[in-house]
Amino acid sequence: MFLDVLFNIDNGYLEGLVRGFKSGILKNQDYINLVQCETLEDLKLHLQTTDYGNFLANEPSPLTVSVIDDKIREKYVLEFQHLRNHAVKPLSKFLDYITYSYMIDNIVLLITGHLHQRSVQELLPKCHPLGMFEQMGAITVADTSASLYNAILIDTPLAPYFIDCISEHDLDELNIEIMRNTLYKAYIEDFYNFCKELGGPTGEVMCELLAFEADRRAFMITINSLGVDLPKDERSKLYPRCGKLYPDGLNQLSKAEEYDQVKMIAESYADYRPLFENVGTNPGDKTIEDKFFEQEVKMNLNAFMRQFGFGVFYSFLKLKEQENRNIIWIAECVAQKHRTRIDNYIPIM
Amino acid sequence: MSSLFRGEDMTLCQIYFQSEAAYSCVAQLGELGIVQFRDLNPTVNAFQRKFVNEVRRCEEMERKLRFLESEIIKEKEIALTDAQEFCEAPKSKEMIDMETALEQLEHDLQEVNSNKDALKKNYLELQELRHILTKATTFFEEQDRIQTGEQTVLQMDTQDRVQPLRLGFLAGVIDRERVPSFELMLWRICRGNVFLRTAEIEEALEDPKTNTQVNKTVFILFFQGEQLKIKVKKICEGFKATIYPCPETASERREMGLGVMTRLEELKTVLDQSLNLRKSLLTNAALNVKTWFCRVRKMKAIYHTMNMFNLEVNQKCLIAECWAPVNELTRIKLALDKGTELSGSNIQSILNRMETKEQPPTHHRLNQFSEGFQNIVDAYGISSYREINPAPFTVITFPFLFAVMFGDAGHGLIMSLFALFMVLRETQLKNKFKTNEVWQIFFGGRYIILLMGLFSIYTGVIYNDVFSKSMNIFGSSWKVGVSKDFDFEKVTVFDLNPNPNVNRSLNEVKMYSGTPYPFGVDPIWIMSINKIAFTNSLKMKFSVIIGIMQMMFGLVLSLLNHLFFGKMASVFFEFIPQVIFLTFIFVYLCLMIFIKWIRFDGSPNSTQCAPNLLIELINMFFFKSAADEDSCKALYSGQSIVQKILIVLAVLCIPTMLLGKPIILYLRHKRKSQSGVRLEEDMRHMTELSNNVVTSDSVHQESTYLVNSEAELLNDHDDPEEKFDMGEIAVEQCIHTIEYFLGCISHTASYLRLWALSLAHAELSEVLWTMILRIGLQSGSAPGFVILWLVFVPWAAFTVGVLLLMEGLSAFLHALRLHWVEFQSKFYKGEGYQFIPFSFQQILEQAENPDQL
Repeated sequence: MFLDVLFNIDNGYLEGLVRGFKSGILKNQDYINLVQCETLEDLKLHLQTTDYGNFLANEPSPLTVSVIDDKIREKYVLEFQHLRNHAVKPLSKFLDYITYSYMIDNIVLLITGHLHQRSVQELLPKCHPLGMFEQMGAITVADTSASLYNAILIDTPLAPYFIDCISEHDLDELNIEIMRNTLYKAYIEDFYNFCKELGGPTGEVMCELLAFEADRRAFMITINSLGVDLPKDERSKLYPRCGKLYPDGLNQLSKAEEYDQVKMIAESYADYRPLFENVGTNPGDKTIEDKFFEQEVKMNLNAFMRQFGFGVFYSFLKLKEQENRNIIWIAECVAQKHRTRIDNYIPIM
Repeated sequence: MSSLFRGEDMTLCQIYFQSEAAYSCVAQLGELGIVQFRDLNPTVNAFQRKFVNEVRRCEEMERKLRFLESEIIKEKEIALTDAQEFCEAPKSKEMIDMETALEQLEHDLQEVNSNKDALKKNYLELQELRHILTKATTFFEEQDRIQTGEQTVLQMDTQDRVQPLRLGFLAGVIDRERVPSFELMLWRICRGNVFLRTAEIEEALEDPKTNTQVNKTVFILFFQGEQLKIKVKKICEGFKATIYPCPETASERREMGLGVMTRLEELKTVLDQSLNLRKSLLTNAALNVKTWFCRVRKMKAIYHTMNMFNLEVNQKCLIAECWAPVNELTRIKLALDKGTELSGSNIQSILNRMETKEQPPTHHRLNQFSEGFQNIVDAYGISSYREINPAPFTVITFPFLFAVMFGDAGHGLIMSLFALFMVLRETQLKNKFKTNEVWQIFFGGRYIILLMGLFSIYTGVIYNDVFSKSMNIFGSSWKVGVSKDFDFEKVTVFDLNPNPNVNRSLNEVKMYSGTPYPFGVDPIWIMSINKIAFTNSLKMKFSVIIGIMQMMFGLVLSLLNHLFFGKMASVFFEFIPQVIFLTFIFVYLCLMIFIKWIRFDGSPNSTQCAPNLLIELINMFFFKSAADEDSCKALYSGQSIVQKILIVLAVLCIPTMLLGKPIILYLRHKRKSQSGVRLEEDMRHMTELSNNVVTSDSVHQESTYLVNSEAELLNDHDDPEEKFDMGEIAVEQCIHTIEYFLGCISHTASYLRLWALSLAHAELSEVLWTMILRIGLQSGSAPGFVILWLVFVPWAAFTVGVLLLMEGLSAFLHALRLHWVEFQSKFYKGEGYQFIPFSFQQILEQAENPDQL
């Protein structure tokens, strides 16, 4: 408690900044206007009146969705990097932790791309700018996970997470997916422990958020692996063990064979029961992913209710990402003249 | 009345444009810059408005222009020509021409650029190759040496192997900062089976993509076997290293080197040509870019404004609503006529004045002099429509109050010279340091600073303070004279006595000339030890007198406001009690000050008797007086009785103000609701009443107005006094009363800051003189010269840094507070909103400096 007094010495400016950035997030009214757009030019015109300002002013028309996507991402990445550049320990470490997840995604993207015979030069621009690291380009040298570790990842902060997936198997799609999830599991657990160590409001807010993230991954892994030939014990190894499902829920999940069983397990957790209700795949219904996203947005917004913690930085980035997905969804719908599902964005309010 | 005193008389107008003529009419109005258009479709999205396509096309043109501009700026030798003095807004049909011209330019430029980039890339590659070839020679010489050594060893060991061991190699170029990690990765992946040699390229190479200089390094890799080669190549690819073919033998390398050299020469000439082409293209464009910018921005502004108009049902004409000053209407009509004429349309645009209940925007006609002072007032609040604007009075009172706190002729002189410099160089300085915020603040307030400086000189002369020293211009009225038997040994403190020969036989010589020092404080005081006690009493009393004068003046202004708005109830039940209260207590205090000054001179008897005015004022409230105890303390005869009457009358003002106005308003309302019929003669009261209500919740009204302006227009005759709320009026009046009567006391005390700050300033500058500059002045001639020379620097620095800047800032803030709180609270509501005319000049200025508002 007493240390809260000293919080602002190092982090007050950045917290203020991030709260300012957060207030620039699009409101419901903006979405209502965006949805009415007829063309991407309309979209651009409306985004000009928001916090995005003239971010598309120097793009020659006709606009494409991917240009909008790049520009939106560029904007929040710039904001995040500004925060990172001004941060001192332990906030800088915390912000670095956030970027690790993007590194994992980038590695997986590169390896899968390589499997499909794409060249590195073509893949690199597609990587998330927050997860860039120097050795990335050479990733195609590795053909087994062991060589991947020994040659490339050993110098990156991801190295400790990789211990569990070193094997001499060739990298194929299933292996990569398993590798991604193992990495994620180790990463989330490590991040969770780091936040717990920091304690205070950071610990409280972040542990909550990361526990949710961990459980979401557990659910998704289970649901996605239902039809796949994946041994049960192998599956249980992929579950991050820092969520509310640990240990009983995870235990049950590893035995689940059908979707209904997963739903049954969720029934016994108050936090997750509502997410599995009213879910369907018919048009107009919300998918389970959307439900989880909605819940995530809600939790991230709650993080802003606490002061003197780092949770806001994490939440800001997640909210921005969600906003990015929303705008792109709307933009895609507008561009493809496919308006029936345009309302399926997840409002941030 | 002039517009600065009350602001312009504004009116709401409706303009019917014929659709073809609308564009040129709006253009004319934009040049005029005197009307503020209202958004008639606030609920319509930005992208659903009528002229959104035109706005978009303008934006696209702007983008192309920005691209051109950035390209021109990159080319350092080309200077952008300023926009023409007067760039007319283009006609609407010129848009297509402009678009095609810009399109063509952009296209040409892009073509030239891509050509140039390709050439540059080629050039870079050749340069790199040349470097590799030169560096490689040294590598190979070393390698040959090693290899021959190895070969002999190998041949000796393995007799049966006929072929000597051949090492494969790759040569390339890599960014210098990537070398360490590149080396590390090579070592890891190839398990140390690769031999890497690097050499830095001394000159920086230009990266064609980013146009920046990058440092690079040549490397050469030796390895064995095809497997390694594939891996190594992949790593090179990953690290964005470029690999070049490099022949093995020295003669081939030399040959290739020669070839590269000649190709470089050729490429250089081609590249130069393409750069020249680009340059001539940009030089041509640079002549016009600014003018184009101006034209496009004007065009965009016009369409943006037209988006706020309503469309007539049959699409034949556009309807606009705008605020405009009444006495500009003829000019507006002329502009409309001119616009119609230019557009070639034969139907005139029609301008109608409209009746409205809404509070119009406040517009003051300003010049660069009054602007600064108006800003001081506006920072507190934009004046309500047609209420008295304090700015014209602020022009004098603000610098004066500042100067009272900053009274030093020397400091004032420096300040006014600085301001004078800014004023005289106004036109040159205007466009300099646009980004420097601190400079902009000073420059914007140059006339304020000038007046502050001049007034400081004036008060400085009155205080007789020049850098804390006094000047004996007219000759002091005092001189020290002693009798012959005066014993200087015994006396340490010497009294100057205005009345000689009264008690002391010692001072027989007349010390006081009988006439006071003609202007300001007598310089003799600087030598006395009770100087501070004397100036304190003087400045304190002056502060109170000045303060009460200013507050009284504020009350007079409030009377003018009440009369102007026809609020008779406020005159009788607000203004009169307020004036009585202020006069009977505080003006009376001033009167006592003057009486005390006149009545008690330096004679021994009177000094004993002189009453303490502060105590006297406090006692007044307890119906006591010092005169009761000791008749010699009385300021005048009958003082005690007079004071009692004054207090009783003053206190009676409080309930009068508290209850009078609400009761009157209530009675009026009752009478009106009973009569039911609205008579013509009642209208005057109505407006008065509505004014009260309107001003109180004008903010609310404004916001609702924006939402449903149309609905409001229909219900234009619904008077707001329908919602008469007695409770609200009573509470408001209660707050107002308490605020005023307590305020009178606290504000009078607040004016004492004039004395406090002036004391602080005088003391600080004296300390600075005695602690620093005097060291130099006291020393002997030769070393004293050096010391004075050294000591002057910190003295001058502190004078400017602490006394002028910091003290000046603090005095400025206090003067500001005295105006905002003590003066303006007496009459100024400040609930209006600014008139922001549609003006090309402002739009262009904003576009030029987007950071400034």
